[in-house]
Amino acid sequence: MLRLVAGRIVSSIGTLFFVGLALFALTRSGPGSPARIVLGADANAEQIAQFEQAHGLDQPFLAQYATWLRDVLRGDFGKSFVTGRDVATEIVNALPVTLSIVLFAFAIALVFGIGIGILAALRPGGAFDRLSRFASVLGLSIPAFWLGIVLIRFVAVDLRWLPPGGYQPLSAGLWPHLSTILMPSVSLAVYYVAVLARMTQASLQETLRGDYVRTARAMGLSSGQVVFYALVNALPPVVNLAALSFGYMFGWALIIEQVFNVPGLSRALLNAISQRDFLLLQGIVFLFTTIFVFANLGADLINRLLDPRQRAAA
Amino acid sequence: MRRLGQVLRGIDWSGWLGAGIVALILLAAIFAPLIAPYDPVALSVEDRLSAPDAAHWLGTDQAGRDVLSRIIFGARASLAVGIGAVLIGALLGVSAGLFAAYKGGLGEQVVMRIVDGIASIPLLVWAIAIVGILGVGPLPIGPFVLPNEVKIVVLVGCLFSPVFARVIYGVAKRIVGADYVKARHLQGASHRDILLGDILPNCLSPIIVQGTLLVAIGIVIEASISFVGLGVQPPQPSWGTMLSDARNAIYSGEWWLPVFPGLAISLTVIGFNLLGDAVRELFDPRSEARTLVA
Amino acid sequence: MSTPLLSIEGLRVGFRAADGGVIEAVRGVDLSIAPGEAVGIVGESGSGKSLSMLAVMRLLGAPARPTGGRILFDGEDLLAAGEARMRALRGRDIAMVFQDPQSSLNPALTIGRQICDVVRAHRKVSANEARIIAAEALARVGIREAGKRLDSYPHEFSGGMRQRALIAMAIACRPRLLIADEPTTALDVTVQAQIVDLIAELRRDLGLAVIFISHNLQLVSEIVDRVVVMYGGKVVEDGPVEAIELSPRHPYTKLLKACVPSLGGPVGPLVAIEGTPPRLGRMPEGCPFSPRCPRAIEPCADEMPQLIREAERRIACWRPQ
Repeated sequence: MLRLVAGRIVSSIGTLFFVGLALFALTRSGPGSPARIVLGADANAEQIAQFEQAHGLDQPFLAQYATWLRDVLRGDFGKSFVTGRDVATEIVNALPVTLSIVLFAFAIALVFGIGIGILAALRPGGAFDRLSRFASVLGLSIPAFWLGIVLIRFVAVDLRWLPPGGYQPLSAGLWPHLSTILMPSVSLAVYYVAVLARMTQASLQETLRGDYVRTARAMGLSSGQVVFYALVNALPPVVNLAALSFGYMFGWALIIEQVFNVPGLSRALLNAISQRDFLLLQGIVFLFTTIFVFANLGADLINRLLDPRQRAAA
Repeated sequence: MRRLGQVLRGIDWSGWLGAGIVALILLAAIFAPLIAPYDPVALSVEDRLSAPDAAHWLGTDQAGRDVLSRIIFGARASLAVGIGAVLIGALLGVSAGLFAAYKGGLGEQVVMRIVDGIASIPLLVWAIAIVGILGVGPLPIGPFVLPNEVKIVVLVGCLFSPVFARVIYGVAKRIVGADYVKARHLQGASHRDILLGDILPNCLSPIIVQGTLLVAIGIVIEASISFVGLGVQPPQPSWGTMLSDARNAIYSGEWWLPVFPGLAISLTVIGFNLLGDAVRELFDPRSEARTLVA
Repeated sequence: MSTPLLSIEGLRVGFRAADGGVIEAVRGVDLSIAPGEAVGIVGESGSGKSLSMLAVMRLLGAPARPTGGRILFDGEDLLAAGEARMRALRGRDIAMVFQDPQSSLNPALTIGRQICDVVRAHRKVSANEARIIAAEALARVGIREAGKRLDSYPHEFSGGMRQRALIAMAIACRPRLLIADEPTTALDVTVQAQIVDLIAELRRDLGLAVIFISHNLQLVSEIVDRVVVMYGGKVVEDGPVEAIELSPRHPYTKLLKACVPSLGGPVGPLVAIEGTPPRLGRMPEGCPFSPRCPRAIEPCADEMPQLIREAERRIACWRPQ
């Protein structure tokens, strides 16, 4: 068991190493060298050489990557060539905003997605089943950022229940915080509620047909327990999908933050793009990729814990 | 022919609805210049922000451009990115999956690890970042100048490819090991015969199902990238940029500006999702477990 | 004869067909079983034996449902009972074990957890008491170091042990009736005998009534008092095991007996019954066995013989032997 887990962790880190390398190569493949971007078109060769030496850009490519990666592991994402600001600090300032929207959306997706999926699976062909199938097609098809726009119009402009945008940290109080992240999180969550509901329903319907479910019923277990018996076996694909969802949510959160004018990582990323601030961009994308890879690793480990056959395999 | 008839009868009403929507949008995109009542980029100061009426069915925007015409032309960008990315992803993924399953050994390991690597990339973040790095301007590659949309198509296609590679790899791996394929080898069937005659036909239905559902995801990705200004560049119409332009209208009350482009995206995506679900029901009803997410 | 524990009267089970009609798979079954009695129900697949027993448990799956008759358990009509009442009866008064022990236990939960859940569904006991009862049940079905094995998962058990664990679940609340649906079919031959012996032993020790469903007449005969032979959704012969063994009167029973080589007996030619059982919805007007019957005569195919009582036996045949 320990060896398997260690193996999976090592392979995840290996993946991150190579994906990070691809990212590093891509950020350096854009038009114009960092020195040109920072110093401007009329810098002379000497100035450029000096700049490259100062920032280690004259080193071989792989050496640059190794240095960057080593620093990142220490929590040092470098100093922006463009603004001179510490990249890690910029990320740490913006991350809580994005994180609270994503975490809240993820909680909504889990509770409603799995809940609706279970209810729909219990009565195949029933009214709730049909309603949830219809709603899930809608949920899969409405783009989150459009939903955000519609919500702003109705909830903020017409009804004036919630502010149309902006952000209040949790330190400003629970309600002020919630009132700013509620609409972004709901917009972000709807698609994932639909995805998880479909998967839960499909998987649970399958396991409800299992022989062990018939045994549980033949022994007189309550219907709640019968569903639990099916559910413990239906969860693994749902866990995998939830982890993927969590990883992907950060990407869509970037778009949602734009709609609600929230000062999260999207602002930092789009600024980095417009200022061609490669170190900041690299840092943010690498962070998101790390979250994605480790969310999937987490799902894998949870599933190993859920399945006694895999838990036992040493 | 009889088989085709049976297949068509197996599609339920929601499948036909999806097929109808997809056909409608496809036709609108192809024949946009014939259908659109106005030039989608023609400015008209006196017609600014007119609400939907007989002259402009879906109203006009801040620059007096006809919203309906822009939506019809916008379908071109959406479908081009959605379908183009899926075609590129399928081509790359199918080749990679077939190669790995058929070749075995080191080649298999290397290719499938690369596929795993691409699959562990959060799609949208990378798409935004890479377009951001390359810049939104046209990209000259040798004698060709690639417009920004082509960059996005190729990029999203690459990021879609693991879905196809894994499906094909799974099927092909099973078939390559099967006794009857070994027997066909002994009978002197060429590699090409086996790839095209035995393996590919068996992979076709999952490719079509996943492909249809991925088009829907591709369309939303195009709209999102355009929404943050990294996709289709103005004045060319795209549903994403139309929504981005419409953001001020949320407050000022020109409801038609944010509503219709959003409806266009949702309707198209619903069409592809319904069609994909119907095709899956038809070919592979037990495969719902392979739900796609992005 | 004392009042029966279970009495099935005119039971019918049907499937809703695609065209809206109903296809009957169990077509009027009468059967009763006394407290503590062991009855074997024998027949080929499709004879309606498992469906009848699933109807007793009220566990018929979606397209199948009882379409007529009564099932009296201790005088109470189960077909009229509410779901809550059935839940209370299942596992406490009537328990059922199934064919495939491989898939009938929940792979994600420990054996102990699964037995304890049954105990606690029917008796108000603490978690610790439930565990003690579960360990007793497991010990009773012959699993060594039962207390320790409670924490095992199904995949750590062999096939025979899994079937024992399922039987332990079934008897943990001391039911009065155990229905075993082909409990040995999926097991090795040597293990089969052990499970049959176990059921016989439990019946003796606990005073259980047992219904043992099988397609193997020989196997069933070892432990039951009475054999009921079913064919085409109907009971065709019913009688004490010795009588059925010595002088089967229905031609189908006779052929069924000839199908299985008897251990230690003279080695005769093995007989296979020619033809296949009738398809659902394509039942002959008369005796369902008539198309395959070597003794079929004029009325057999046209009119169904009644199940007639003759001394200790019942038989439905125009031309019994």
